[in-house]
Amino acid sequence: MAFPLPRGITPPEISFLAEMEMVTILPRQRLEGLELLGGPVEPLLPPRRASLPLWLALLLKRQRRANILPPPWLHPESLSLILDIETQHHEYEHTFSPPPPLPGQPSIRDHGQRPVAVPRYTPDGGRYYPAPPFLPQNVAQDHIPAGEPPSLPFHWLEVGTMLLDAASDDLVDPDQTRRLLKELREVRTAKIRSGVDVLDTASTGGGGVALTGVGAMEVGEGRGFIAGVIDGLRKIGASKEQARREQMAEDMANGGYGATQDDDDDMEF
Amino acid sequence: MSYYDIDSILTDAQKLPCTFELEVPGLGILEGNPGDNIKAGTRIDLPLWLGEMLSIGARLGTSRLVTLDIPSALSERVMNALKADPRTVDLRALAPHFYSLSERVLELFEEEEMVDVLINTFKKRASEIADHAHNPMGALGDGVEFLRGLDETERQLFRVAHDSAKETRIWAGEAKKR
Amino acid sequence: MDIDDILASVDRNDVSSPESAVLDHQLLTRFWVAERGVSELLPWPEALMNRMMGRVRKQIETIEDLAASSSDPASNNSNNNPNINLKLSILQTDLSRTQYLLRCILRQRLSKLTKHSMHYLLRVSAASSSQHPDSQINTDQQQPEDSIPDLTNVLDPSPLSAQELAFLRAHQTLLAGHFGASFLSSFPAQLRRLDDNAGGVSMVQGPDGREMVFVRCLVERVAVVVPPGDGVEVETMGTEMRMGDVWVVRWEGVRGAWERGEVEIL
Repeated sequence: MAFPLPRGITPPEISFLAEMEMVTILPRQRLEGLELLGGPVEPLLPPRRASLPLWLALLLKRQRRANILPPPWLHPESLSLILDIETQHHEYEHTFSPPPPLPGQPSIRDHGQRPVAVPRYTPDGGRYYPAPPFLPQNVAQDHIPAGEPPSLPFHWLEVGTMLLDAASDDLVDPDQTRRLLKELREVRTAKIRSGVDVLDTASTGGGGVALTGVGAMEVGEGRGFIAGVIDGLRKIGASKEQARREQMAEDMANGGYGATQDDDDDMEF
Repeated sequence: MSYYDIDSILTDAQKLPCTFELEVPGLGILEGNPGDNIKAGTRIDLPLWLGEMLSIGARLGTSRLVTLDIPSALSERVMNALKADPRTVDLRALAPHFYSLSERVLELFEEEEMVDVLINTFKKRASEIADHAHNPMGALGDGVEFLRGLDETERQLFRVAHDSAKETRIWAGEAKKR
Repeated sequence: MDIDDILASVDRNDVSSPESAVLDHQLLTRFWVAERGVSELLPWPEALMNRMMGRVRKQIETIEDLAASSSDPASNNSNNNPNINLKLSILQTDLSRTQYLLRCILRQRLSKLTKHSMHYLLRVSAASSSQHPDSQINTDQQQPEDSIPDLTNVLDPSPLSAQELAFLRAHQTLLAGHFGASFLSSFPAQLRRLDDNAGGVSMVQGPDGREMVFVRCLVERVAVVVPPGDGVEVETMGTEMRMGDVWVVRWEGVRGAWERGEVEIL
């Protein structure tokens, strides 16, 4: 029983995942509420807006039963601003523009506030913290808080591409939007590629490389290469890492048992 | 070493210079003289798996049968060339499984500087591989020569980078399936 | 537990509520992405899968009832509700999407299990029974099947489901029989095993915990750990990730945090 897919979700699967993002529609007909496996869908009562998963919004849009209200970031003005951050700001020369905050995480303008992650509980008693595609990062907004810079959600490329494809008549200046998305993609792909130089920080135990702000499709595109480079570096450096670990074991043994746990907190590689 | 991994098995078969410390009766077959003895001081290239086994005494501190040497693929001359410009060295000509061989050699010899040179080499060449892999036209011009000189690990890296770039273009509707 | 925790757990027990359907859908989706992204088999989420299968069965009934009523001329339902075909197509699309997730999870797991079959069989049997079968005694009668551990006393098949364990055992028995019949039977008896360790290379290969994963940090902070090894007896801490960060790290460095729900695999 062969399973043909490589490790890590592939572009079509990433797209499938992005279709679970909630978007706002303006229904053109009535429809009673539905109980879906993904959760309940509210009744459609024109001209009242409704929030639906993207796959359902696209299904209705293709049958001309609804219009889709684009998310605020998918607007030429927002995209130009984000492109500016990606290209002009020295701070983001090698990194991505900051993503929308998670619930409980202070946004860029709330400087100094501490994040507080609030869990929900699963029926099995585990903690659950929601993340994209299950956050309202792609719903329409009437009032954007002042001083809140626009940001690209995790599924920006997929949602943007799908809306351009199926609902371009609902977008403001689709041609300009398409051009900006393409430019953003190129700028950000170049950042991933030039990041090879820092990948060895992830090749030893306890290390890692931050890619905060990266998009889902960008992870999909870079996954095999990035993982391959780090695994290669790890194997070349394996003898050195082992020698260092053995040295550490020796130091711990010489320092006695008491020295072990406290020292660990300061151990940064 | 991975039991079912063909690259791992092929790496095991790569040759390493070995010098016999003792005379061994009847082992002349390794030199192509079946039935003869092997004299102390004889230098023969042996596959990694065999050389490693025969040198085990050395690591246990008892009398050793053979001493191992660093293979020519990882010689000082090669390291200097890699320091000068990692991109112009034809690794495949040195050893088809260049990095896997290095890994095994580094388990046997403590060569900290070699680790640093190889890590830098791998990174520099990986960036170049990424550039070629993202070119939808495939390898062109100078690239052809560089890509021909990739070792097996690098070839796999090229393949995975090329395939995922292509998959993404297919999804975006910029390329056709197959 | 603070007050937020208590409030958040109020709806915990009502599995039939719409909120619980939403949560389970999100849990299933997150599990699918993780199972696809990690090299080792993740612990089978028994309770979640049972709830999902129950809902799928119910949804299929709903769809069948709706389809029957729409094609029944006596009920005249299609006049009452012009949206019945639209409703049907939405419900069916939603069902197919969930079925894709379930099927993909199962297929990915079977692929991991068959790739490292001996590893998982030995792991499950080692966790359950203290004594190993004495299959080594009669060496000249040795057959490849003798490498398969005795699983009769296994109470907890984790990380496999009970069905997966039954599948894996049957699979490995067939495979060993096939190896035996096609070439191993002509080997000397002591070379017929599938779990040999000769020459310092184990025939039993498992997934590599040091392979890289992409994760998002979901809580205030999570430290990447280095598991004990190479003479170091305790787990040590490495880089610290902050809330909302995305990192590329070793799977073994975040496995614990993933089990606690503090990071998600991307």
